[in-house]
Amino acid sequence: MAAAVPTVKIVAVGAALPSLRLTAADVTATWGAGPRRGTTAVCAPDEDVLTVSWHAAARALAAGGVEPTDVDGLWWGTSRPPFAEGPSLSMLAAALGLRDDIAGALNSGSTLAGIDALLSAWDAVAAGSSRVSLVVGADALRPGLGTAFEAWAGAGAAAFVLRAGDGPAALAHRATRGRPVLDRYRGDREPATRDLYDPRLFREEIFLPLVDGIAAALSDGVDTWSLPDPDGRLGAAAARRVGASSVASADAYAAAGDTGSAAPLLGAVGALAAPGVVAMVGYGGGRMSGVTIEVGAAVPGAADLARALAAGRPASYAEVLRARGELVPSGETVEMAVPPGSAAFVRGGLEMIGLLGARCIDCATISTPPSLHPACTGCGGAKLEEVALARTGTVHTFVVNHTMPAPFVAPLPLVVVDLDDGARIMLQGTSDDAATLAIDDRVELVLRRYTVERGVPVYGFKVQKAERSEEVERS
Amino acid sequence: MSWDRVAVVGAGLIKFGELFDQSYEQMAAGAFAAAMASVDKGFEPVQVEAAMVATQRGTLWGQEGIGGNTVPTALGIAGIPCTRIENACPSGSDAFRIGAMAVASGVHDVVLVIGVEKMRDKSTEEGLLARAASGHPVYTRGESAPVLFAPFATRHMHEFGTTREMLASVAVKNHHNGTLDPYAHFQSEVTVDQVLKAPPVCHPLHLLDCCPQTDGAAATLLVNAERAREFTDNPVYVAGFGVATDHPYLHEKTTFTGLPATVKAAARAYAMAGIGPADLDLAEVHDCFTITEILDIEDLGFCEKGKGGIVSIEGETSLTGRIPVNPSGGLLAKGHPIGASGVAQLTECWWQLRGEADGRQVAIRNGFALQHNVGGRGSGVSVVNILTTNAS
Repeated sequence: MAAAVPTVKIVAVGAALPSLRLTAADVTATWGAGPRRGTTAVCAPDEDVLTVSWHAAARALAAGGVEPTDVDGLWWGTSRPPFAEGPSLSMLAAALGLRDDIAGALNSGSTLAGIDALLSAWDAVAAGSSRVSLVVGADALRPGLGTAFEAWAGAGAAAFVLRAGDGPAALAHRATRGRPVLDRYRGDREPATRDLYDPRLFREEIFLPLVDGIAAALSDGVDTWSLPDPDGRLGAAAARRVGASSVASADAYAAAGDTGSAAPLLGAVGALAAPGVVAMVGYGGGRMSGVTIEVGAAVPGAADLARALAAGRPASYAEVLRARGELVPSGETVEMAVPPGSAAFVRGGLEMIGLLGARCIDCATISTPPSLHPACTGCGGAKLEEVALARTGTVHTFVVNHTMPAPFVAPLPLVVVDLDDGARIMLQGTSDDAATLAIDDRVELVLRRYTVERGVPVYGFKVQKAERSEEVERS
Repeated sequence: MSWDRVAVVGAGLIKFGELFDQSYEQMAAGAFAAAMASVDKGFEPVQVEAAMVATQRGTLWGQEGIGGNTVPTALGIAGIPCTRIENACPSGSDAFRIGAMAVASGVHDVVLVIGVEKMRDKSTEEGLLARAASGHPVYTRGESAPVLFAPFATRHMHEFGTTREMLASVAVKNHHNGTLDPYAHFQSEVTVDQVLKAPPVCHPLHLLDCCPQTDGAAATLLVNAERAREFTDNPVYVAGFGVATDHPYLHEKTTFTGLPATVKAAARAYAMAGIGPADLDLAEVHDCFTITEILDIEDLGFCEKGKGGIVSIEGETSLTGRIPVNPSGGLLAKGHPIGASGVAQLTECWWQLRGEADGRQVAIRNGFALQHNVGGRGSGVSVVNILTTNAS
């Protein structure tokens, strides 16, 4: 058994899924395969692993009442970072409003990355090099077309806020077992994940022996398990092997499919609502890791999982293929006037992804974005300070654009919002709100991928009708 | 007493439409010829001392190289001073204002103001995409021209109870006027029902709430007022003008029920002309969308704020109404070749004041006509020009 490090606590959690739900039966019917049960959560065209990671992390911080500037470590685990090499971690940090001296790392390379990130953060907090660490396990898996894996591959994110000292739940034990075998993998420049083995070979020779090793190390006193289920059947086999009476991760798998690096954390979020011992186990890249959590009291945000699982809207397989970029309209798309490599992005990148405004020292008017406003739009004054804009507000007016050719999607709302800090902003809305949007609606700003420009994702905020649960919390 | 240093002695345009068979240069030559032919006592190209060219679309529309130097060659008067004026949708109005100032300054006695615009050499889809991806990568992404005015319709409806039927009445009126204007792009009537049931373009605006994409050119000839009688016994004078700006981006607007730039530009023009809105016999205003005309007639002082929809549906802006608005058919029916639009509106005012507007002629009582454009991310700049037959 590994040494216990009981001083690191989980003080808040958050969960998020992307907005589309695809039924497994729709996928299998398309390929003439036998029917399968369940749904998977998949990304809309303006969502990806970064936007769903932002959503889970923002919810965890809000649930725990943690100020973004109090976080000093960001540990992000995903097999699908938006850039194979690039500013993935710094973009997530900026979107969350974290400090620019934030420590941490992006863990990647397999779907064990979420647990890897948690272990890294745990070590950093235990060692005292981080006071408050934010852990995000997230993925948006991209299966090969027509593979058995496709009907089960999902997307989602879970976030944990860790700190030393007091907290409702403690990280207790950990264990890792590994074998140097190749199972699911993706080569350089390959878009889709390959699934190598005969399912029985994988189960008998690789997966279950690893489960046995983890169970031997961790299973004492565990009340509830979050277990890996990479194909929709292995989860049940693992549950039998560890002797689990309760498998907390089953609901998340049924609603979202395999969420890769998010899966072990996402499967455990709901179980953190009640006292007991929770074990979460992840698998990927020939390695399996487990962590036990001793829950003393409900962790803020634990109820968030049920909200995330219940949200979303059904989408056809064709819509999902289009969102994944595999069903592409013929003809040329137009490039933006401002390419992501230009000076405009260096000047304006942070204010866009960090949602900044320029507040007038004299009259308090907030002008956005700061780089376009050396003078106040209210009084013309030039004494301005950069501020983070409020993320909630009220619709002042709006339109719904119906005429945009691809890559734009119709109906496309564009919404003028009076934010709760007094700033006025105009941003795209989401197609899902197009039919019901109205003046005076309460809205929130959510991170979305506006476009993929010359191969580079461009992120910014969009307007979305506020979720009912938040309205209740606010009142 | 009006400002009266500059006279308009000629004006003309080519028939607006999808002019696939004409180049930018050919359109310019056509408008210039029409303006010269309208001069009562004759006009020769060599009499032009300087030209102002209004063309708005630039790098996205294949008109990159078209500047002040292109047009004189096309008109056979290469060598004259010529400058391109770009000031968004009011480019033509502003070129006219700047041309008038050039004459009033005494630097030139005879100035050509010509507006030319090719809107249809690019496909609609290509144009939409280019527009929607221009500007700020996030704050303006997904904008098309209707996006710039539809939020005003949404809010105007919310605050004042303006209805889609009221918006439709503007389209019905302007399309009717267009049937009487041989230069109009569209020459057929539309019904309220057709407007209401047209496909949605940008909620709450539907297809017939929107002006078309139109190619066109228009020209006016401005001269020192003291020399007007050399060209005509029936001159029209520039009585006043005003320009004003507003914050360009929609999220910077302080109101979505009016266009402050128009209010300011109109106040400046009325003061210069020494008149008020009640003195006008007609107005050619910027009706790129039905809601825009409703905002315009409120902001220009033709009715109370919030009453523009009611005034329109009750016919007060028809050819025989209290204040005829857009007798030419407006941008909705005549079309909106951007740089040419303002100059064409001024041409209509010139004809109306001279009693030459045939079947769409309105009653001229006081001898004042107002012309107005607004544009620049929708409403970042507004220009008002006032013409009169009254010499002081």
